[in-house]
Amino acid sequence: MEDYEPTIIAFTCNWCTYTAADLAGTSRLSYPPNVRLIRVMCTGMVDPKYVIKALLEGADAVLISGCHIGDCHYMNGNLKARRRVKLLKELLPRFGFDEQRVKLTWIGASDGIQFAETITEMVPKLKALGPNEVRNQMVL
Amino acid sequence: MSKLQSQKDYEDFRDQVKKERDPERLLVSICAGSGCGAYGTEEVREALEQEVSKNGLKQKVEVKVTGCHGFCEQGPIMVIHPQGIFYPKVKPADIPEIVAETIVKGEVIKGKLYKDPVSKKRIQKEEDIPFYKGQHRIVFGNNGMIDPAKIDDYIAVDGYSALVKVLFSMSPEEVISAIKESGLRGRGAGGFPTGIKWETCRKAHGDIRYVMCNADEGDPGAYMDRSLLEGNPQSVLEGMIIGAYAIGSHDGFIYVRNEYPLAVKNIGIAIKQAEEYGLLGKNILGSGFDFTVKISRGGGAFICGESTALMRSLEGQVGRPRAKYVHTVDKGYRDSPSTLNNVETWANVPVIINKGAEWYASLGTERSKGTKVFSLVGKVRNTGLVEVPMGASLRTIIFDIGGGIPKKRKFKAVQTGGPSGGCIPEDLLDLPVDYQRLAEVGSIMGSGGMIVMDQDTCMVDVARYFLDFLQEESCGQCVPCREGIKRLLEILTDICAGNGKEGDIELLEELAGTVSKLSLCALGGTAPNPVLSTIRYFRKEYEAHIYDKKCPSGVCKELFYYEIDEKKCNGCHVCFLRCPQEAISGEKKKPHTIDQEKCIKCSICYESCKVDAVAIK
Amino acid sequence: MVTFTLNGRQVEAEEGSTILEVAETYNVKIPTLCNHKALEPAGLCRLCTVEVYDGRRTRFVTSCNYPVWGGMEVKTDSEDVIRHRKMIVELLLARCPNNEFVKGLAAEFGIEATRFKLEEDDCVLCGLCVRMCAERMGVSAISMTGRGTDIRVETPFQIKSDACQVCGACESVCPTGRIDVREIAKYEPRPLLSDWEVGLQERGAAYMPFPQAVPLAAVIDGEACAHVRTGNCGVCREFCEAGAIDLDMKEEIIEVEVGSIILATGYDLMDPSPMKQYGYGVYPNVFTSLEFERLSNATGPTGGVILIRDENGELTVPPKSVAILHCIGSRDVNHHEYCSRVCCMYALKYGHLIKEKVGHETKVYNFYIDLRCFGKGYEEFYRRLQEEGITFIRGKAAEITDQAITPEEEGKLVVIGEDTLLGKRLRVPVDAVILCMAMEARSDALDVGRIFGVSQGADGFFLEEHPKLGPLNTATDGVFIAGACQGPKDIPDAVSQASGAAAKSLALATLGKVLVPSTISWIDPNICAGCQTCIGLCPYTAIEFDARRGVSVVNEALCKGCGSCAGFCPSGAAQVRHFNQKQIFAELDGVMDAISAVGI
Repeated sequence: MEDYEPTIIAFTCNWCTYTAADLAGTSRLSYPPNVRLIRVMCTGMVDPKYVIKALLEGADAVLISGCHIGDCHYMNGNLKARRRVKLLKELLPRFGFDEQRVKLTWIGASDGIQFAETITEMVPKLKALGPNEVRNQMVL
Repeated sequence: MSKLQSQKDYEDFRDQVKKERDPERLLVSICAGSGCGAYGTEEVREALEQEVSKNGLKQKVEVKVTGCHGFCEQGPIMVIHPQGIFYPKVKPADIPEIVAETIVKGEVIKGKLYKDPVSKKRIQKEEDIPFYKGQHRIVFGNNGMIDPAKIDDYIAVDGYSALVKVLFSMSPEEVISAIKESGLRGRGAGGFPTGIKWETCRKAHGDIRYVMCNADEGDPGAYMDRSLLEGNPQSVLEGMIIGAYAIGSHDGFIYVRNEYPLAVKNIGIAIKQAEEYGLLGKNILGSGFDFTVKISRGGGAFICGESTALMRSLEGQVGRPRAKYVHTVDKGYRDSPSTLNNVETWANVPVIINKGAEWYASLGTERSKGTKVFSLVGKVRNTGLVEVPMGASLRTIIFDIGGGIPKKRKFKAVQTGGPSGGCIPEDLLDLPVDYQRLAEVGSIMGSGGMIVMDQDTCMVDVARYFLDFLQEESCGQCVPCREGIKRLLEILTDICAGNGKEGDIELLEELAGTVSKLSLCALGGTAPNPVLSTIRYFRKEYEAHIYDKKCPSGVCKELFYYEIDEKKCNGCHVCFLRCPQEAISGEKKKPHTIDQEKCIKCSICYESCKVDAVAIK
Repeated sequence: MVTFTLNGRQVEAEEGSTILEVAETYNVKIPTLCNHKALEPAGLCRLCTVEVYDGRRTRFVTSCNYPVWGGMEVKTDSEDVIRHRKMIVELLLARCPNNEFVKGLAAEFGIEATRFKLEEDDCVLCGLCVRMCAERMGVSAISMTGRGTDIRVETPFQIKSDACQVCGACESVCPTGRIDVREIAKYEPRPLLSDWEVGLQERGAAYMPFPQAVPLAAVIDGEACAHVRTGNCGVCREFCEAGAIDLDMKEEIIEVEVGSIILATGYDLMDPSPMKQYGYGVYPNVFTSLEFERLSNATGPTGGVILIRDENGELTVPPKSVAILHCIGSRDVNHHEYCSRVCCMYALKYGHLIKEKVGHETKVYNFYIDLRCFGKGYEEFYRRLQEEGITFIRGKAAEITDQAITPEEEGKLVVIGEDTLLGKRLRVPVDAVILCMAMEARSDALDVGRIFGVSQGADGFFLEEHPKLGPLNTATDGVFIAGACQGPKDIPDAVSQASGAAAKSLALATLGKVLVPSTISWIDPNICAGCQTCIGLCPYTAIEFDARRGVSVVNEALCKGCGSCAGFCPSGAAQVRHFNQKQIFAELDGVMDAISAVGI
């Protein structure tokens, strides 16, 4: 288990967190390599299905990250995402997922550092949580 | 008393009042004008009433306290009607004798009669006294018959008949043309034709028009307006109502200085009574004409007698004049057309209406009609209020009516028109007094002050005195008046103190020219008159002050000294005894001398020397 | 219209106008003193007296308030008039013999001395102050008190006035300089400082923003304008001959439809006050670079003469020595790590200006970390200055103090630093210090950025789309950035960037059309159940319900492709193109396959 490396799928909004991640890169910030970004135009378009799908495909955690409240490029998409994730978190335990495996954050375009920090923080927590076993228990 | 509601009401009431008055009834009239009042009218009245009731004569005798009779020098004055016995200088102690002799027995007490200082004769009747004889009292005449607190007295002498005539038989235009024909000119100072003023005001644009009475008489020594308001306020009111009717005004003000408490009181009573009688207020005598009058009490600033300053003061602002390029008849009080006339002008109005413009115009000179009241004061025997037709000569007023100069002194000059009037010398004494002639000789009619000066008056000092007054009373707004008068006074003070220098007279003339031409209001415009007229007629005196450092009249203390003429002095010792500084030495029956070191020039020795041995050097 | 004679010439004038007004239009000069355009004429000084002949007699009237009428004959400079005016002036001179204004007035009238006794006064009692306060300000905090020669301008009971609004209008109209609002007002007057002159100069409530402002028109400071605050005053209107002043102007929000926006909001100069070691605000002769820029500028408060403050705080003394401190707030881990880029060059320029304007004997010390003279001709300029005798000390100054320890430091500012080339500590006494302050992002950059969808970099400046490929673009299409809002830069750089941004927006404009992003939503009519959930969700009202077909339809011109509809659509009919479910799932699959193939 010691060399267990969790996989994080991050749905990042095109305008803020994706840019922040880019900034983190161009700023040469170092952070764990466990994250894979899937760019979406807005967190508001993240269908809960995507999250479930990612977890089922073997991701250990899903990060949804967008613009700060009030900063949404599309006015209020992030508010819609917030509502959706709240509901989703209530549903997750029924599927057997730990609700900690889904995380919603706001990371602005200039917050490269924060993006790096968020990932850095997530990885040890996930390590402590252990691998996502639900997929294996499920009959697909 | 219910309101009089028609012409008939008034006439009935008047006839009734007249009928009640028995012309043969004993009437004692005591003057309670300010002059007589100061001498003790109140005590005399109390003593008289006590004496009358003590003798049980209350039903038989009527005691009337009236307004000013004019002969203030002789106050308190008592006139006993119907005989018309005139007792001057009555004291409470004289009352028992007067009651016992004159009232009970009807006999004249010779010793108490007026003694003419010229002819040395005792004179019994008021109208025979030279002081009254030379007068023509159309405004003041009724003062002696009226108790100012009783409107009935005024109605009894046909008061308000002029108003009735106007209200019921004349149109406003007819009133104005009557006033125009009469030639009445403003008695305040300006001498503007009253009729034209009214007409302009009537024609001026505006919904509200105001009528005002200027009773802010501020000239030192002048008190004719005061005496009129105190003695016959109803005549002023009647004049104002007629004026208001002619102009089309419904609101009137009487601006009276608060230093005239009796005038304020009497005009207040007069307004109240007139309102009660329906002669003032809404629907006067049922004619449909409304007019109310309010009293506004002035704080005593001399400048508030100026029309624009007065109106500003009425508005509640600081009483300072403004330029009159837009006349007050167009834009005056609260920017509405306003007519302001002084007390005497208003009092003339009922007379003109009653007696006719033609009759009025027959009095006076070509361009100055009617009579004028002067307050004759100063170094003259008969101080008092004098009403003469326009055009009477100064000599008539000062010598015939005024009785000349007391103490055998020589006449030197007369100053007319208040502090900003000019001084007229002896050789112009035959000058007929009217607006033009006074202006020609460098003086003004003013409101009618007349100050007589004798040989002991220094003309430079006189000019200095008046300018000192004017400096304080100038409103201080405009440069020529504020700075100019100050500098005129400064130069005159220097001259009086012996610091005059060559060129001062010319500088005075030059500066006086600017002050009179450029000042904003008439105060500044006339302020240099005392300087200019004294320079004009008494230049030698100025030169004596400046070049010889002498004050020929012995007034300017730095510029003269007293000396006793050894030849004239009979050693009577009077001066020795009276000198407060013990500066006079000498034995009885031998000529005395004055120690110049000790002398303070108080002039007591000069005044008291019977043989004129004290001389001014 | 009325016709009358003015100095022998027939003139026409509007009825109701005054002689003075008419004379002015006919270029006839009449002297005035108590007259003021904004005040009702009062006719107090009488200086404007003229002669009027009305057909019967000649009168002297004040032209300022005498209304004209047909047929009158006016003489404005007859012998009498001049004689009287001279007397007035002579009287005023006697009153205020030592007042410069009155002396000047007397000189105009050819009066050398007055024949009257001299007084010692400063007030000619023209009443302008009182009338201004009453008529225009509606306050009447001062008035003419007393009478005759005692008349004076005073507050009621000589108590400092509570009613006074400290506007200073009285002071501004006083010809003799007698009025001091400090003697009148209960409250201390607060001077209005010019922003343009960085507080080195005062300005009025109405002022020109700066000498080359575009448009070159005056503005009114609503917070200070007495009219805006109280509804009174409005004096400026009387003076504006063009009638251009509209005091009732209201704030309005103007909506302009544009195709593109260029943000060129500039920068803030860092405030040195918190850096206590440099004593800015404590020592009067420590200036910021911008303050010095104004001091050396020909349109500045000193007219381009370089002067420092004397003991009264007035700019009067030329400095004998100046220290220029580079990199204050820049290249400093405690403040901004970045280099502000322009300081080196303007510091060199200042040194040159000081040498040239104050004199070559003036000592100039530059305390620098590195001198970065990177541009065209810059290095040459640096060399030239070294030759001019400017001292360059490598080492950032640590502190400025006025505590002298040697006699030559007495009364001077001492710059304490280290010459790192010599490895020696230094104390340099100078007369003035210039702090080359860092350029920083504007304090409101965050708010502005939000409005335009432009993000800030870590340093606070606006972030360009790409440092190399999109230096003018931002994350929002059609919004460009130019100048120091993007990062510290000098004028040539800012101009180039601005030209580029302008070109970019022109390119958009010339095209005449915009490319709609392909990532927009599409609702599959075959799947849509017509529940209309998406319609309520769409922030751009881009979805309409087609009642005939019973499906929702996306308006492609309005849709921005946020995907709110797609995220919620219960049937999955709404999808964002390029981000549809199938594509996302495929992406996921790819990612996961890669992970399982190579580990993480």
